[in-house]
Amino acid sequence: MTGTDTKTKHGDASDGSSNSLGARLSRFDGPDKIRGAARYALENHPANLAHAVIVQSTIAAGTVRAIDVAAAQVAPGVLLVLTPDNALHLDSASNWLGAPPPDAPYLPLARTVTFNGQHVAAVVAETLEQAIEAASLIRITYDATDAIPDFDDPRAGEGQPMDPMKIDWGDAETAFAAAPVRIEETYRTPREYNVPLEPHGLVAQWDGDALTIWEPSQWIDGMARTYAEWFAIPFDKVRIVSPYVGGGFGSKALACAHGAIAIMAAKMVGRPVKLAVTRPQSFTAFGGRPATRQTIALGATREGKLLSIVHRGDNETSVDGFAVEPLGAVTALMYATANLSSRQNIVPVNTVLPGPLRAPGENPSAFGIESAIDELAYAVGADPLAIRLLNYAEEDPHARKPWSTRQLREAFAVGAERFGWSRRTPAPRSMREGNQLIGWGVAAGTYPVRRTAGEALVRILADGTVEVASSSIDMGTGTYTILAQTAADALGVAPDRVRVKLGDSSLPRAPVAGGSQLANLMTGAVHKAALAARDELIGLAINHPSSPFRDVQANTLVIADGRIAAPRGNGPAVPIAELMRKIGREQIEVLRDTLPEASRSDEDRYKNFTTVATMRSPTDGDYSLHSWCAHFVEVRVDADFGTVRVSRVVSGIDSGRVYNPKLAESQWQGGIIMGIGQALLEEGIVDRRHARVVNNNLADYLIATNADIPDIEVISVGIPDPHASALGGKAVGELGIVGVAPAIANAVYHATGRRIRELPITLDKLM
Amino acid sequence: MTQPITLTLDINGRTRTVALEPRVTLLDALRDHLALNGTKKGCDQGQCGACTVHVDGARVLACLTLAAQVEGRQITTIEGLAGADGGVHPVQTAFLERDAFQCGYCTPGQIMSAVACIREGHAGSDAEIREYMSGNLCRCGAYPHIVAAVRDVAGAAS
Ligand code: FES
Ligand code: FES
Repeated sequence: MTGTDTKTKHGDASDGSSNSLGARLSRFDGPDKIRGAARYALENHPANLAHAVIVQSTIAAGTVRAIDVAAAQVAPGVLLVLTPDNALHLDSASNWLGAPPPDAPYLPLARTVTFNGQHVAAVVAETLEQAIEAASLIRITYDATDAIPDFDDPRAGEGQPMDPMKIDWGDAETAFAAAPVRIEETYRTPREYNVPLEPHGLVAQWDGDALTIWEPSQWIDGMARTYAEWFAIPFDKVRIVSPYVGGGFGSKALACAHGAIAIMAAKMVGRPVKLAVTRPQSFTAFGGRPATRQTIALGATREGKLLSIVHRGDNETSVDGFAVEPLGAVTALMYATANLSSRQNIVPVNTVLPGPLRAPGENPSAFGIESAIDELAYAVGADPLAIRLLNYAEEDPHARKPWSTRQLREAFAVGAERFGWSRRTPAPRSMREGNQLIGWGVAAGTYPVRRTAGEALVRILADGTVEVASSSIDMGTGTYTILAQTAADALGVAPDRVRVKLGDSSLPRAPVAGGSQLANLMTGAVHKAALAARDELIGLAINHPSSPFRDVQANTLVIADGRIAAPRGNGPAVPIAELMRKIGREQIEVLRDTLPEASRSDEDRYKNFTTVATMRSPTDGDYSLHSWCAHFVEVRVDADFGTVRVSRVVSGIDSGRVYNPKLAESQWQGGIIMGIGQALLEEGIVDRRHARVVNNNLADYLIATNADIPDIEVISVGIPDPHASALGGKAVGELGIVGVAPAIANAVYHATGRRIRELPITLDKLM
Repeated sequence: MTQPITLTLDINGRTRTVALEPRVTLLDALRDHLALNGTKKGCDQGQCGACTVHVDGARVLACLTLAAQVEGRQITTIEGLAGADGGVHPVQTAFLERDAFQCGYCTPGQIMSAVACIREGHAGSDAEIREYMSGNLCRCGAYPHIVAAVRDVAGAAS
């Protein structure tokens, strides 16, 4: 075997070749989506499908005394009324870290109610309309007890300290007390909800002990594990199909109670069952971002140089679960300071267990510290941009490690230039246009680079086209497109010659599409598998007795534009399909993973793909790995009415190397837009009498509409980061939202002289 | 109430006959009974626009319309937008080129709205497009690209 050195192309564009990675290609899944041909989970209708509808509790704490199912049971079309009384036994499942479950049954239908809107019963009927009608006939009586509606209720107490969240260096309290300039304020964010436009739900079908589930999923293998454990069946008996996901933003990564209910119902009626969580039910079928409050004390010199940060934060959790929204995430990272102390408590209240929502931790953390540093700028008379540069962290101040790359200075510079920051007049209320108070604000954001090993299958087919397969998913994140680009570059074919199959647990496994890790880990796995496939093809071309290259005497060959040739062009340039035919191969198939050599047992693999236990932190290694951004925002506030409009956004963004700028820009913009909604609109309103979120629909839980969004300019300032990932990218999906809300709050202060420390910034707070 | 009735519907230029309970919405009729899944359900209560279809050329929320209400009317869904030659509508092309979507779930509704928005003459400026496209929510935040796509097509037409 002669050498098959194929290291001439790394897909990093540095060799000047015509790589497709880095090109502004349109989405490969786009043609199906614009034609309405992309089939989402609930659009699968296996024969004999029955429909399930859930009934939720109307109290927040207590027990279910009785459920009167008599009328529902005899309603037309009803197949089953499911209550805690006739529910099947389910085992508890391990959590996402893989910690062993408690030795107790799992109860997706509650007898003991701990939050308003908890699932209590369900109806299965022949049609959706019949199920809805029968569900309305169920009468539930409760023995209610007192509920704690939110963490401002005095009975909620201080909560539990989360010791793993403790961060300390220096002597922060003493340094703060001695600092010449001190500010101390409290910042609050309300409950916020993911509300992906595709509601949650699933179609579940049993064939013997094999289970097929069509369900939108950010983590097919993790959810399959939970279902397998709940129903005590082998992992490989669960197949989840999720080729398209109508948005998730963190909410579709874990199996939920409604999944257990649908699967249980399908088993009991012996038919496939579809369960669509209604939009109002979705507000309590799974949790969004918990309400947070944090007090930040900054001690500084008279010039604004930080001496100390003292940070104390709380977030709500449910009464029977742990949800931590790490409020110190950005506080301990963004600025250089010799002294810092951060603590966090979680406060149990009667709510659904909160869950991850776009940049959990970093997002509210940045609202705190990026508001506080702005307050400090005014306190010392510094420019808000200048004070950020004055306190620029040259290394990770917490981990004490060098940044792998940190293009935040560049992000500030390019953002300020494009925005026109130098024309800003510093005093609040100093930039006015008629009745509009104009404010310019800036804030930075960051998101860590998380890393888990991936796996990918690459197949070169007889016709010269290529297939890539993985159980990873694309929820608008561009996975289909960038994996095709990756394989195309490694194999020397055009990207439209590559078909990518995703979203099916029968395909090679993938870890969670969360923590903004998927693009980097999957491009790494596909790159590796595609290079191996290329090696194999070139090896065959050189050595196979019927190969046209048999006599070329080359010790390697090159592939470009779908043709194989000798490196110096001396000889034929043979299309891949022709070579495959000549050597009599139907396909070349290569499966590769990026697991460490020492961790490749079946058990290791299972753990890697079905838990987050092997996910590497951003500071595991010699460097601290993060993406960075700087948002410049203009707001216009009506001087009489206090209405706030965002009129301009310019953001400099460092996500490292960008695999497809067209799609990355969309994700950054999408994050910024969600951040505008968070800053000005989004708020779960709790009726404290009933501990109930009352605005549980899309007309009352306001998200940004088209008319709320101005022109947004996003500018990539990233450079390839070889420490962050195989192909040099850093985090994209969650970065854009981080820092948007404080940039807007800072702009509102500049416009009005009013500092709003509680989101959302509504007109009543400006009156 | 639950006895099915037979409806004859004109959908995308084809006559479809279907037996449905009278309380079935046009949205559920399309998705669950007629295998036309392109029209999406985002809220089922008239708040998101994902279910936007055309009835006699005007935008209608299919989740707030009973199938029985639209007998004898011309219904167009995303699947019927393509020309007779099977090619996609210019608005569809513009959405793809402008990357006016991410997850794609709001997209059929956005496109149906966009086609009507242009036809209504409400695409004269970016501000007007934003206003007249605000009945269609996009949680992925594709709004600026949606505006660009509508502007492209409206500009080319005028
Ligand atoms: S599904 Fe009809 S408006 Fe939302
Ligand atoms: S593209 Fe996802 S909701 Fe619009």
